[in-house]
Amino acid sequence: MTFTLLARCPKTGQVGIGIATYSICVGLYCNGLRGNVGATMSQAFVNQGNNTLGLRLLAQGYTSQRVLDDLKANDPNHEYRQIAVIDRNGRVAASSGAKNRGWAGHHVGDGYVAMGNVLAGEKTVTAMAKAYEASAALAFERRLLAAIEAGRDAGGQSGVDGHLPERSAALMVYGDYDHAEIDLRVDLHDTAIEELRRAFEEYDQYRGYYKERGKNPKDAIPQYQFVAELDKKQQQEAAQ
Amino acid sequence: MTFSLIGRCTRTGRLGLGITTFSLAVGGRCEGVVANIGVCKTQAFPNRTNDPLGIKLLAQGHLPKRVMEMFAANDTEHSYRQIGIMDRDGRIAAHTGPGCRGWAGHKEGTDCVAFGNGLVGPQVLDGMIAGFLENPGDALEYRLMRAIEGGRDAGGQGTPDAHRPERSAAIKVVDRRDYPDVDVRVDVHPTAVAELRRVLEEFKLYEEFYRGRDTDPAKAIPQDVFVKELDARRRARA
Repeated sequence: MTFTLLARCPKTGQVGIGIATYSICVGLYCNGLRGNVGATMSQAFVNQGNNTLGLRLLAQGYTSQRVLDDLKANDPNHEYRQIAVIDRNGRVAASSGAKNRGWAGHHVGDGYVAMGNVLAGEKTVTAMAKAYEASAALAFERRLLAAIEAGRDAGGQSGVDGHLPERSAALMVYGDYDHAEIDLRVDLHDTAIEELRRAFEEYDQYRGYYKERGKNPKDAIPQYQFVAELDKKQQQEAAQ
Repeated sequence: MTFSLIGRCTRTGRLGLGITTFSLAVGGRCEGVVANIGVCKTQAFPNRTNDPLGIKLLAQGHLPKRVMEMFAANDTEHSYRQIGIMDRDGRIAAHTGPGCRGWAGHKEGTDCVAFGNGLVGPQVLDGMIAGFLENPGDALEYRLMRAIEGGRDAGGQGTPDAHRPERSAAIKVVDRRDYPDVDVRVDVHPTAVAELRRVLEEFKLYEEFYRGRDTDPAKAIPQDVFVKELDARRRARA
Protein backbone atom coordinates (compact mmCIF):
# COMPACT_ATOMS: atom_id res chain seq x y z
CA MET A 1 0.00 0.00 0.00
CA THR A 2 2.19 2.68 -1.40
CA PHE A 3 2.41 4.74 -4.56
CA THR A 4 5.62 6.11 -5.92
CA LEU A 5 7.12 8.05 -8.77
CA LEU A 6 10.86 7.39 -9.14
CA ALA A 7 12.65 9.33 -11.86
CA ARG A 8 15.79 10.76 -13.35
CA CYS A 9 15.41 14.28 -14.69
CA PRO A 10 16.50 14.30 -18.34
CA LYS A 11 17.37 18.01 -18.13
CA THR A 12 19.46 18.11 -14.95
CA GLY A 13 20.50 14.51 -14.35
CA GLN A 14 18.99 14.72 -10.84
CA VAL A 15 17.31 11.65 -9.43
CA GLY A 16 14.27 11.87 -7.23
CA ILE A 17 11.33 10.21 -5.57
CA GLY A 18 7.81 11.21 -4.66
CA ILE A 19 6.14 8.65 -2.40
CA ALA A 20 3.03 8.33 -0.25
CA THR A 21 1.60 5.46 1.74
CA TYR A 22 -0.66 4.26 4.49
CA SER A 23 2.41 3.15 6.46
CA ILE A 24 3.98 5.69 8.77
CA CYS A 25 7.48 7.17 8.41
CA VAL A 26 7.91 6.01 4.79
CA GLY A 27 10.78 8.45 4.24
CA LEU A 28 12.97 6.22 6.37
CA TYR A 29 12.86 3.61 3.59
CA CYS A 30 13.89 6.01 0.82
CA ASN A 31 17.64 5.56 1.05
CA GLY A 32 18.18 4.47 -2.54
CA LEU A 33 19.10 7.73 -4.27
CA ARG A 34 22.51 9.12 -5.07
CA GLY A 35 23.67 11.84 -7.43
CA ASN A 36 25.72 10.60 -10.41
CA VAL A 37 24.82 7.01 -9.54
CA GLY A 38 21.09 6.41 -9.88
CA ALA A 39 17.98 5.60 -7.92
CA THR A 40 16.28 2.52 -6.57
CA MET A 41 13.28 1.89 -4.37
CA SER A 42 11.94 -1.32 -2.83
CA GLN A 43 8.43 -1.26 -1.40
CA ALA A 44 5.40 -3.48 -0.64
CA PHE A 45 7.00 -6.01 1.73
CA VAL A 46 10.27 -4.14 1.88
CA ASN A 47 13.68 -5.76 1.81
CA GLN A 48 15.56 -2.97 3.52
CA GLY A 49 18.90 -4.21 2.28
CA ASN A 50 17.83 -3.82 -1.35
CA ASN A 51 18.31 -0.08 -1.75
CA THR A 52 21.81 0.05 -0.31
CA LEU A 53 22.87 -3.03 -2.30
CA GLY A 54 21.20 -1.68 -5.44
CA LEU A 55 23.05 1.62 -5.15
CA ARG A 56 26.38 -0.15 -4.79
CA LEU A 57 25.66 -2.26 -7.86
CA LEU A 58 24.68 0.85 -9.83
CA ALA A 59 27.89 2.56 -8.70
CA GLN A 60 29.88 -0.44 -9.94
CA GLY A 61 28.41 0.20 -13.38
CA TYR A 62 25.65 -2.37 -13.71
CA THR A 63 22.62 -1.45 -15.79
CA SER A 64 19.29 -1.08 -14.05
CA GLN A 65 18.05 -4.41 -15.42
CA ARG A 66 21.17 -6.19 -14.19
CA VAL A 67 20.72 -4.65 -10.74
CA LEU A 68 17.08 -5.75 -10.62
CA ASP A 69 18.05 -9.28 -11.66
CA ASP A 70 20.61 -9.43 -8.88
CA LEU A 71 18.25 -8.06 -6.21
CA LYS A 72 15.80 -10.82 -7.11
CA ALA A 73 18.44 -13.55 -7.21
CA ASN A 74 19.62 -12.41 -3.77
CA ASP A 75 16.22 -12.55 -2.03
CA PRO A 76 14.16 -15.69 -1.35
CA ASN A 77 11.12 -13.44 -0.79
CA HIS A 78 11.50 -11.38 -3.95
CA GLU A 79 7.95 -12.20 -5.07
CA TYR A 80 6.73 -10.06 -2.18
CA ARG A 81 8.75 -7.01 -3.22
CA GLN A 82 7.99 -4.19 -5.59
CA ILE A 83 11.20 -2.73 -6.98
CA ALA A 84 12.24 0.05 -9.34
CA VAL A 85 15.77 0.84 -10.51
CA ILE A 86 17.02 3.73 -12.66
CA ASP A 87 20.64 3.97 -13.71
CA ARG A 88 22.55 7.14 -14.52
CA ASN A 89 21.65 6.78 -18.18
CA GLY A 90 17.97 6.92 -17.30
CA ARG A 91 17.35 3.27 -18.13
CA VAL A 92 14.55 1.89 -16.03
CA ALA A 93 13.81 -1.60 -14.71
CA ALA A 94 10.87 -2.46 -12.48
CA SER A 95 9.17 -5.47 -10.98
CA SER A 96 5.93 -5.99 -9.06
CA GLY A 97 6.25 -9.41 -7.45
CA ALA A 98 3.35 -11.84 -7.79
CA LYS A 99 2.77 -11.81 -4.03
CA ASN A 100 2.25 -8.07 -3.68
CA ARG A 101 -1.18 -7.54 -2.15
CA GLY A 102 -4.22 -5.84 -3.67
CA TRP A 103 -3.91 -4.22 -7.04
CA ALA A 104 -0.20 -3.85 -7.70
CA GLY A 105 1.66 -2.75 -10.78
CA HIS A 106 4.04 -0.34 -12.43
CA HIS A 107 4.30 1.80 -15.52
CA VAL A 108 7.72 2.36 -17.02
CA GLY A 109 8.20 5.55 -19.01
CA ASP A 110 11.13 7.49 -20.38
CA GLY A 111 13.45 7.89 -17.39
CA TYR A 112 10.79 7.24 -14.80
CA VAL A 113 8.63 4.58 -13.22
CA ALA A 114 5.24 4.96 -11.55
CA MET A 115 4.41 2.05 -9.26
CA GLY A 116 2.20 1.03 -6.41
CA ASN A 117 0.51 -1.76 -4.50
CA VAL A 118 -2.73 -2.16 -2.55
CA LEU A 119 -4.09 0.55 -4.85
CA ALA A 120 -7.58 1.52 -5.90
CA GLY A 121 -6.52 0.23 -9.31
CA GLU A 122 -4.33 0.83 -12.31
CA LYS A 123 -5.77 4.35 -12.46
CA THR A 124 -3.55 5.45 -9.57
CA VAL A 125 -0.41 4.47 -11.46
CA THR A 126 -1.66 5.84 -14.78
CA ALA A 127 -2.56 9.18 -13.21
CA MET A 128 0.92 9.50 -11.68
CA ALA A 129 2.60 8.77 -15.00
CA LYS A 130 0.36 11.23 -16.86
CA ALA A 131 0.92 14.01 -14.34
CA TYR A 132 4.68 13.48 -14.45
CA GLU A 133 4.77 13.58 -18.23
CA ALA A 134 2.42 16.54 -18.48
CA SER A 135 4.50 18.68 -16.12
CA ALA A 136 7.79 18.68 -18.03
CA ALA A 137 7.94 22.48 -17.88
CA LEU A 138 8.07 22.48 -14.07
CA ALA A 139 11.06 21.99 -11.78
CA PHE A 140 11.83 18.30 -11.24
CA GLU A 141 10.71 18.29 -7.59
CA ARG A 142 7.38 19.85 -8.54
CA ARG A 143 6.83 17.15 -11.15
CA LEU A 144 7.34 14.46 -8.50
CA LEU A 145 4.94 16.19 -6.15
CA ALA A 146 2.37 16.66 -8.92
CA ALA A 147 2.62 12.94 -9.68
CA ILE A 148 1.74 11.73 -6.19
CA GLU A 149 -1.02 14.32 -5.91
CA ALA A 150 -2.48 12.92 -9.12
CA GLY A 151 -2.17 9.39 -7.77
CA ARG A 152 -4.07 10.45 -4.67
CA ASP A 153 -6.77 12.20 -6.71
CA ALA A 154 -7.21 9.12 -8.88
CA GLY A 155 -8.14 7.04 -5.84
CA GLY A 156 -4.81 6.26 -4.22
CA GLN A 157 -4.80 3.14 -2.05
CA SER A 158 -7.56 0.69 -1.25
CA GLY A 159 -7.39 -1.93 1.52
CA VAL A 160 -9.60 -4.51 3.18
CA ASP A 161 -12.40 -2.00 3.91
CA GLY A 162 -11.93 0.39 1.02
CA HIS A 163 -9.95 3.59 0.65
CA LEU A 164 -6.81 3.99 2.75
CA PRO A 165 -5.51 7.45 3.61
CA GLU A 166 -1.96 8.59 2.96
CA ARG A 167 -0.42 8.72 6.43
CA SER A 168 3.15 9.46 5.41
CA ALA A 169 4.87 10.90 2.37
CA ALA A 170 8.27 12.07 1.18
CA LEU A 171 9.95 14.07 -1.54
CA MET A 172 13.66 13.66 -2.24
CA VAL A 173 15.98 14.94 -4.95
CA TYR A 174 19.70 14.28 -5.34
CA GLY A 175 21.95 16.18 -7.73
CA ASP A 176 25.69 16.58 -7.91
CA TYR A 177 26.48 16.09 -4.23
CA ASP A 178 26.67 13.30 -1.67
CA HIS A 179 23.92 15.02 0.27
CA ALA A 180 20.32 15.54 -0.81
CA GLU A 181 19.21 18.74 -2.51
CA ILE A 182 15.72 18.16 -1.19
CA ASP A 183 14.81 15.71 1.55
CA LEU A 184 11.37 16.45 2.94
CA ARG A 185 9.15 14.16 4.93
CA VAL A 186 5.79 13.90 6.57
CA ASP A 187 5.94 10.92 8.90
CA LEU A 188 2.54 10.79 10.60
CA HIS A 189 -0.43 12.77 9.34
CA ASP A 190 -4.06 12.23 8.32
CA THR A 191 -3.55 13.85 4.91
CA ALA A 192 0.15 13.42 4.35
CA ILE A 193 0.30 14.57 0.72
CA GLU A 194 -1.42 17.88 1.49
CA GLU A 195 0.95 18.32 4.41
CA LEU A 196 3.94 17.50 2.20
CA ARG A 197 2.78 20.14 -0.32
CA ARG A 198 2.52 22.65 2.53
CA ALA A 199 5.96 21.71 3.87
CA PHE A 200 7.47 21.90 0.40
CA GLU A 201 6.05 25.33 -0.44
CA GLU A 202 7.29 26.61 2.91
CA TYR A 203 10.70 24.99 2.58
CA ASP A 204 11.07 26.16 -1.01
CA GLN A 205 11.16 29.77 0.20
CA TYR A 206 14.11 28.97 2.49
CA ARG A 207 16.21 26.92 0.09
CA GLY A 208 18.24 29.76 -1.37
CA TYR A 209 18.79 31.26 2.07
CA TYR A 210 20.00 27.98 3.59
CA LYS A 211 22.37 27.29 0.72
CA GLU A 212 23.90 30.77 0.79
CA ARG A 213 24.17 30.84 4.58
CA GLY A 214 26.35 27.74 4.53
CA LYS A 215 28.54 28.94 1.68
CA ASN A 216 28.95 32.54 2.76
CA PRO A 217 28.30 32.75 6.52
CA LYS A 218 29.82 36.20 6.98
CA ASP A 219 27.08 37.93 5.01
CA ALA A 220 24.13 35.82 6.20
CA ILE A 221 21.35 37.64 8.02
CA PRO A 222 19.99 35.86 11.13
CA GLN A 223 17.22 33.45 10.25
CA TYR A 224 14.60 35.12 12.43
CA GLN A 225 15.25 38.30 10.43
CA PHE A 226 14.85 36.34 7.21
CA VAL A 227 11.57 34.92 8.54
CA ALA A 228 10.33 38.38 9.50
CA GLU A 229 11.04 39.65 5.98
CA LEU A 230 9.33 36.60 4.52
CA ASP A 231 6.25 37.20 6.68
CA LYS A 232 6.17 40.85 5.64
CA LYS A 233 6.39 39.91 1.96
CA GLN A 234 3.57 37.40 2.37
CA GLN A 235 1.37 39.95 4.13
CA GLN A 236 1.99 42.47 1.34
CA GLU A 237 1.15 39.87 -1.28
CA ALA A 238 -2.02 38.93 0.59
CA ALA A 239 -3.05 42.59 0.82
CA GLN A 240 -2.72 43.08 -2.92
CA MET B 1 20.27 28.09 16.10
CA THR B 2 20.07 24.37 16.75
CA PHE B 3 20.63 21.94 19.60
CA SER B 4 21.83 18.41 19.07
CA LEU B 5 23.14 15.44 20.95
CA ILE B 6 25.16 12.56 19.57
CA GLY B 7 24.96 9.50 21.78
CA ARG B 8 26.12 5.92 21.99
CA CYS B 9 24.54 2.99 23.78
CA THR B 10 27.31 1.03 25.46
CA ARG B 11 25.11 -2.06 25.84
CA THR B 12 24.36 -2.43 22.14
CA GLY B 13 26.94 -0.23 20.40
CA ARG B 14 24.13 1.62 18.65
CA LEU B 15 24.85 5.21 17.65
CA GLY B 16 22.43 8.05 17.16
CA LEU B 17 21.65 11.71 16.78
CA GLY B 18 18.83 13.77 18.27
CA ILE B 19 18.42 17.25 16.82
CA THR B 20 16.00 20.15 16.78
CA THR B 21 16.12 23.66 15.40
CA PHE B 22 14.31 26.76 14.25
CA SER B 23 15.26 25.88 10.64
CA LEU B 24 12.95 23.75 8.55
CA ALA B 25 13.50 20.10 7.65
CA VAL B 26 16.69 19.60 9.67
CA GLY B 27 16.38 15.82 9.40
CA GLY B 28 17.10 16.12 5.69
CA ARG B 29 20.55 17.37 6.57
CA CYS B 30 21.54 14.47 8.85
CA GLU B 31 23.19 12.06 6.43
CA GLY B 32 26.23 11.69 8.70
CA VAL B 33 24.78 8.92 10.89
CA VAL B 34 26.20 5.66 9.59
CA ALA B 35 26.19 2.17 11.08
CA ASN B 36 29.55 0.71 12.08
CA ILE B 37 31.32 3.97 11.26
CA GLY B 38 30.13 6.87 13.37
CA VAL B 39 28.22 10.12 13.52
CA CYS B 40 29.23 13.48 12.10
CA LYS B 41 26.99 16.53 12.25
CA THR B 42 27.85 20.03 11.04
CA GLN B 43 25.48 22.84 12.00
CA ALA B 44 25.26 26.63 12.66
CA PHE B 45 26.34 27.79 9.19
CA PRO B 46 26.69 24.24 7.88
CA ASN B 47 29.11 23.12 5.22
CA ARG B 48 26.93 20.45 3.63
CA THR B 49 29.88 18.52 2.24
CA ASN B 50 31.46 18.09 5.70
CA ASP B 51 29.30 15.23 6.94
CA PRO B 52 29.69 12.87 3.96
CA LEU B 53 33.42 13.66 3.95
CA GLY B 54 33.69 13.08 7.69
CA ILE B 55 32.01 9.69 7.39
CA LYS B 56 34.45 8.68 4.65
CA LEU B 57 37.41 9.79 6.77
CA LEU B 58 36.12 7.87 9.81
CA ALA B 59 35.56 4.81 7.60
CA GLN B 60 39.19 5.04 6.49
CA GLY B 61 40.19 4.72 10.11
CA HIS B 62 40.80 8.30 11.17
CA LEU B 63 40.06 9.36 14.72
CA PRO B 64 37.37 12.03 15.31
CA LYS B 65 40.08 14.46 16.44
CA ARG B 66 41.97 13.93 13.18
CA VAL B 67 38.79 14.33 11.12
CA MET B 68 38.20 17.67 12.82
CA GLU B 69 41.72 18.81 11.91
CA MET B 70 41.03 17.84 8.31
CA PHE B 71 37.78 19.81 8.33
CA ALA B 72 39.67 22.86 9.59
CA ALA B 73 42.22 22.52 6.80
CA ASN B 74 39.58 21.89 4.12
CA ASP B 75 37.16 24.74 4.79
CA THR B 76 37.86 28.48 4.60
CA GLU B 77 34.74 29.13 6.73
CA HIS B 78 35.53 26.59 9.46
CA SER B 79 35.20 29.34 12.08
CA TYR B 80 31.45 29.58 11.29
CA ARG B 81 30.74 25.88 11.72
CA GLN B 82 29.66 23.90 14.74
CA ILE B 83 30.59 20.24 14.45
CA GLY B 84 30.17 17.10 16.55
CA ILE B 85 31.86 13.81 15.68
CA MET B 86 31.70 10.43 17.41
CA ASP B 87 33.23 7.22 16.14
CA ARG B 88 31.90 3.72 16.72
CA ASP B 89 33.96 3.38 19.89
CA GLY B 90 32.45 6.52 21.37
CA ARG B 91 35.48 8.78 20.86
CA ILE B 92 34.40 12.39 20.48
CA ALA B 93 35.59 15.58 18.84
CA ALA B 94 33.61 18.82 18.90
CA HIS B 95 34.10 22.31 17.52
CA THR B 96 32.19 25.54 18.02
CA GLY B 97 33.60 28.22 15.72
CA PRO B 98 33.76 31.78 17.07
CA GLY B 99 31.53 32.86 14.14
CA CYS B 100 28.54 30.90 15.50
CA ARG B 101 25.85 33.34 16.60
CA GLY B 102 24.13 33.76 19.95
CA TRP B 103 25.18 31.61 22.86
CA ALA B 104 27.01 28.65 21.33
CA GLY B 105 28.97 25.78 22.78
CA HIS B 106 29.47 22.07 23.20
CA LYS B 107 29.83 19.77 26.18
CA GLU B 108 30.75 16.13 26.57
CA GLY B 109 28.90 13.78 28.90
CA THR B 110 29.03 10.04 29.49
CA ASP B 111 28.69 8.43 26.03
CA CYS B 112 27.45 11.66 24.49
CA VAL B 113 28.25 15.13 23.25
CA ALA B 114 25.73 17.98 23.26
CA PHE B 115 26.24 21.03 21.05
CA GLY B 116 24.17 23.99 20.08
CA ASN B 117 24.12 27.60 18.94
CA GLY B 118 21.68 30.48 19.14
CA LEU B 119 20.71 29.12 22.57
CA VAL B 120 19.49 30.85 25.70
CA GLY B 121 22.60 29.60 27.50
CA PRO B 122 24.73 26.65 28.63
CA GLN B 123 21.81 25.28 30.65
CA VAL B 124 20.39 23.92 27.38
CA LEU B 125 23.40 21.62 26.96
CA ASP B 126 23.16 20.57 30.60
CA GLY B 127 19.45 19.84 30.12
CA MET B 128 20.20 17.69 27.09
CA ILE B 129 22.91 15.68 28.82
CA ALA B 130 20.74 15.20 31.92
CA GLY B 131 17.90 13.98 29.70
CA PHE B 132 20.20 11.56 27.92
CA LEU B 133 21.59 10.16 31.17
CA GLU B 134 18.24 9.94 32.94
CA ASN B 135 17.49 6.31 32.02
CA PRO B 136 20.63 4.65 30.65
CA GLY B 137 18.78 1.33 30.33
CA ASP B 138 16.31 2.74 27.79
CA ALA B 139 16.62 2.19 24.05
CA LEU B 140 18.88 4.84 22.51
CA GLU B 141 16.03 6.51 20.56
CA TYR B 142 14.20 7.23 23.82
CA ARG B 143 17.36 8.59 25.44
CA LEU B 144 17.88 10.92 22.47
CA MET B 145 14.25 12.00 22.68
CA ARG B 146 14.68 12.81 26.38
CA ALA B 147 17.85 14.73 25.50
CA ILE B 148 16.15 17.11 23.09
CA GLU B 149 13.16 17.44 25.42
CA GLY B 150 15.64 18.29 28.20
CA GLY B 151 17.21 20.97 26.01
CA ARG B 152 13.83 22.41 25.13
CA ASP B 153 12.71 22.45 28.76
CA ALA B 154 15.92 24.24 29.77
CA GLY B 155 14.99 27.14 27.50
CA GLY B 156 16.04 26.04 24.02
CA GLN B 157 16.84 28.63 21.38
CA GLY B 158 16.78 32.40 21.36
CA THR B 159 17.57 34.92 24.06
CA PRO B 160 15.96 35.42 27.48
CA ASP B 161 13.76 38.09 25.77
CA ALA B 162 12.97 36.29 22.53
CA HIS B 163 12.45 32.54 22.54
CA ARG B 164 12.69 30.84 19.14
CA PRO B 165 10.47 27.80 18.66
CA GLU B 166 11.63 24.38 17.48
CA ARG B 167 10.23 24.14 13.96
CA SER B 168 11.85 20.84 12.91
CA ALA B 169 13.35 17.87 14.71
CA ALA B 170 14.72 14.40 14.03
CA ILE B 171 16.05 11.26 15.67
CA LYS B 172 18.23 8.83 13.80
CA VAL B 173 19.65 5.62 15.28
CA VAL B 174 21.87 3.09 13.54
CA ASP B 175 22.81 -0.40 14.63
CA ARG B 176 24.69 -2.94 12.50
CA ARG B 177 22.69 -2.75 9.28
CA ASP B 178 23.56 -0.18 6.67
CA TYR B 179 20.18 1.53 6.98
CA PRO B 180 18.85 3.20 10.11
CA ASP B 181 17.03 1.31 12.85
CA VAL B 182 15.03 4.40 13.76
CA ASP B 183 14.66 7.48 11.60
CA VAL B 184 11.76 9.74 12.59
CA ARG B 185 11.23 13.31 11.49
CA VAL B 186 9.16 16.42 11.87
CA ASP B 187 9.97 18.94 9.14
CA VAL B 188 7.63 21.93 9.51
CA HIS B 189 5.75 22.31 12.79
CA PRO B 190 5.24 25.02 15.44
CA THR B 191 6.17 22.64 18.31
CA ALA B 192 8.40 20.15 16.56
CA VAL B 193 9.83 18.43 19.64
CA ALA B 194 6.40 17.59 21.04
CA GLU B 195 5.32 16.40 17.60
CA LEU B 196 8.46 14.26 17.29
CA ARG B 197 7.59 12.57 20.59
CA ARG B 198 4.16 11.73 19.13
CA VAL B 199 5.72 10.33 15.93
CA LEU B 200 8.31 8.29 17.85
CA GLU B 201 5.72 6.75 20.18
CA GLU B 202 3.53 5.83 17.21
CA PHE B 203 6.48 4.45 15.24
CA LYS B 204 7.48 2.22 18.15
CA LEU B 205 4.02 0.60 18.00
CA TYR B 206 4.62 -0.33 14.36
CA GLU B 207 8.33 -1.14 14.48
CA GLU B 208 7.99 -4.85 15.12
CA PHE B 209 5.13 -5.25 12.64
CA TYR B 210 7.10 -3.54 9.87
CA ARG B 211 10.21 -5.59 10.54
CA GLY B 212 8.30 -8.87 10.63
CA ARG B 213 6.34 -8.01 7.50
CA ASP B 214 9.54 -7.39 5.59
CA THR B 215 11.60 -10.34 6.78
CA ASP B 216 8.78 -12.89 6.80
CA PRO B 217 6.13 -11.57 4.39
CA ALA B 218 4.23 -14.87 4.11
CA LYS B 219 3.09 -14.54 7.74
CA ALA B 220 2.25 -10.82 7.68
CA ILE B 221 -1.31 -9.66 8.22
CA PRO B 222 -2.47 -6.67 6.13
CA GLN B 223 -1.53 -3.37 7.72
CA ASP B 224 -5.11 -2.10 7.88
CA VAL B 225 -5.96 -5.21 9.93
CA PHE B 226 -2.95 -4.54 12.17
CA VAL B 227 -4.11 -0.94 12.67
CA LYS B 228 -7.60 -2.10 13.63
CA GLU B 229 -6.13 -4.42 16.27
CA LEU B 230 -3.93 -1.59 17.49
CA ASP B 231 -6.93 0.73 17.81
CA ALA B 232 -8.89 -1.97 19.66
CA ARG B 233 -6.02 -2.37 22.14
CA ARG B 234 -5.88 1.39 22.61
CA ARG B 235 -9.63 1.54 23.26
CA ALA B 236 -9.40 -1.35 25.73
CA ARG B 237 -6.68 0.47 27.66
CA ALA B 238 -8.65 3.71 27.67
